[in-house]
Amino acid sequence: MSEGGSGTLGEFIQGEEEPSSSWVVLAFGLVTSLSLLILHSILYPSRDLPVISEILPVFDGVFDSGIWFFILGIMGGVFAIIATMLTEATSE
Amino acid sequence: MGDVLNSLMLFWGLMLLTYFLMQNGLSIFNDVTKAMSHFMLEKALGPGIDLVEGRDGSASKAWFIQGMLWLIAASTLVFEGLWLKQDPTALHSLSAWGYDPTANSLIYASNYAALYGGIGMLLIGSSLHIMPRLAGTNLASERNATLVSFLWTLSVLVLIVAAHDSEILGVNIFLIGTGMHALGFIAIVINLLLTISERQSSLPIPGWLIIMGMLADPISTTATIITGSIQAGAGQWLLAHMIGGTFFFATAAGVALYVSSSASGNPLWSRSLGAATLVGALATINPIGDSNGMMAADMLGVAFEQLQPSSQDSIVMAFLMALAMIPIMALAANVMMTLRGGDAFIENSDSAGIAEVNLGASMLFPLAVASLFVQSDALAAAPELSGMAPTLLLMGIWLVLVPISLGAALHLFPTVTGRNLLSRNRARWAYWMMGGGAFLGLTVSMMSDLIDMALIEAAVDDSSALAADVQAVGAILFYGAAVGAIMHTLNAVSGLFRGARIVTDRATSSSITTEAYSLASPTSVRKILAGGASLDTTVVPVGESDDAGSATEL
Repeated sequence: MSEGGSGTLGEFIQGEEEPSSSWVVLAFGLVTSLSLLILHSILYPSRDLPVISEILPVFDGVFDSGIWFFILGIMGGVFAIIATMLTEATSE
Repeated sequence: MGDVLNSLMLFWGLMLLTYFLMQNGLSIFNDVTKAMSHFMLEKALGPGIDLVEGRDGSASKAWFIQGMLWLIAASTLVFEGLWLKQDPTALHSLSAWGYDPTANSLIYASNYAALYGGIGMLLIGSSLHIMPRLAGTNLASERNATLVSFLWTLSVLVLIVAAHDSEILGVNIFLIGTGMHALGFIAIVINLLLTISERQSSLPIPGWLIIMGMLADPISTTATIITGSIQAGAGQWLLAHMIGGTFFFATAAGVALYVSSSASGNPLWSRSLGAATLVGALATINPIGDSNGMMAADMLGVAFEQLQPSSQDSIVMAFLMALAMIPIMALAANVMMTLRGGDAFIENSDSAGIAEVNLGASMLFPLAVASLFVQSDALAAAPELSGMAPTLLLMGIWLVLVPISLGAALHLFPTVTGRNLLSRNRARWAYWMMGGGAFLGLTVSMMSDLIDMALIEAAVDDSSALAADVQAVGAILFYGAAVGAIMHTLNAVSGLFRGARIVTDRATSSSITTEAYSLASPTSVRKILAGGASLDTTVVPVGESDDAGSATEL
């Protein structure tokens, strides 16, 4: 490899701005995942979902009220705040 | 004289004495007291004080962030409490961990989290920034104020635990929480008193509202203990409302008046209304609050008594609550008119926090009137409106005190931290989520209360079914307040690290303090007012010359 000139690798650059349409990619990925899970139950109606079908019974009697869905949302928000604090504090 | 009048007379006397001492000092003991107080705030704490930084604004920043986090906890507790009103066993699975909350215990705990955790911390954080500005000096001890914020948070945590179970291993947890709370409160009051003792000019009305509001909390407690009225239901009710009308209302009023001027660039609309707010807050009984004195009794470790005032006490209480409409109307009008200036719309309405302050000022009067009816009813031998009192208290907290304190914190955030909030758009969304969620959720909850009361009065067998359906909707709508609190906090935390740096300190250069304005070139009156001048400001023309400059002769 020649020194200097065309052989030099460029530095990694991470943008500060978030493109407004990036969430579309995430949403599309989520919808695809859910679709494939539904497809699994259509293709193999007699088989339970792997892993998930074994974990869910553990929570029988725990998440037996709709309030837990809301509490999970709040927990998600709190974890987002904690994650933001940790990542921002350690990023510089 | 009855219990109530006795306590009030002593309270007013002690407040007048405090005001006299603040204006005239302690004579030959001044220097000794100041030196000892400075020592107690910093050096007496030993190496503990080195755990925190003492940079300008660090204290307010610590109080703001913790206050916002407490709002998340408080809104979650309210949401769960509202939900459990229609589904009492929703959280029964937690009993396996020894935690078996009820709707009442959750809402009671949420009052501590919101009043002392969220609102209290945000108001104190704002005061720690505002008071030095108004006094034209620096905060006496940034480090102590920062350190005390953690003690305060710990005290709120203990109070929340105590609200669920007041006695653990034979120890009254409330007293431990109150002890820590009192220690933190005394430190903050001493810090602020030392700050204003170094003031360079007379303290404006918002400054007096803040410091008198803070001082009135321990003074009113002392007054009810000395007179012994704390043992009676009327005394406990009185103490709860005195603290609500002073520490929460008067301090919030001072902060709101400062922020309304600072945010809009307009001078304070009326000094007389400001004075009426100050005198009225101390001389009357604020009707916004609970219809019993359970919080006051629990925090002081005395047995809770039902409110059964004597006829003389009832007349005094009703009369002073009616008079409280004067300071409440004065504050609401002053804040809203200052925010609007000469226009019909709020100036600088896109600025984060202004919409919240406007919401709090707008809701103040209608909720005060509603509270007056409910509290007057509570004085009767057989109250008929007591079923809606807890929800009305929640409305006072979430639609008046939380918006004002949070709005002030959001507005002062850039000046305190040196960075703006991460996203103004997210702040706007959070405002709508929080304000809309609290307003709609609690309005629907009140509808549920009214249905419940009406069906019980009509002696319907299963009166709970219809009210429960409506209550479920109320709880779900209030969930928006929790989401809004999370969005606000996330916006502020992200802003601490990635928010745009502020370029000028214009944001909180309040018009209240400026005494002289240097006029270097022709300009409009509007720009002078926006630059921090008021009608009493002296405009000083600065001499200019077109002559060529030359070297300075030494």
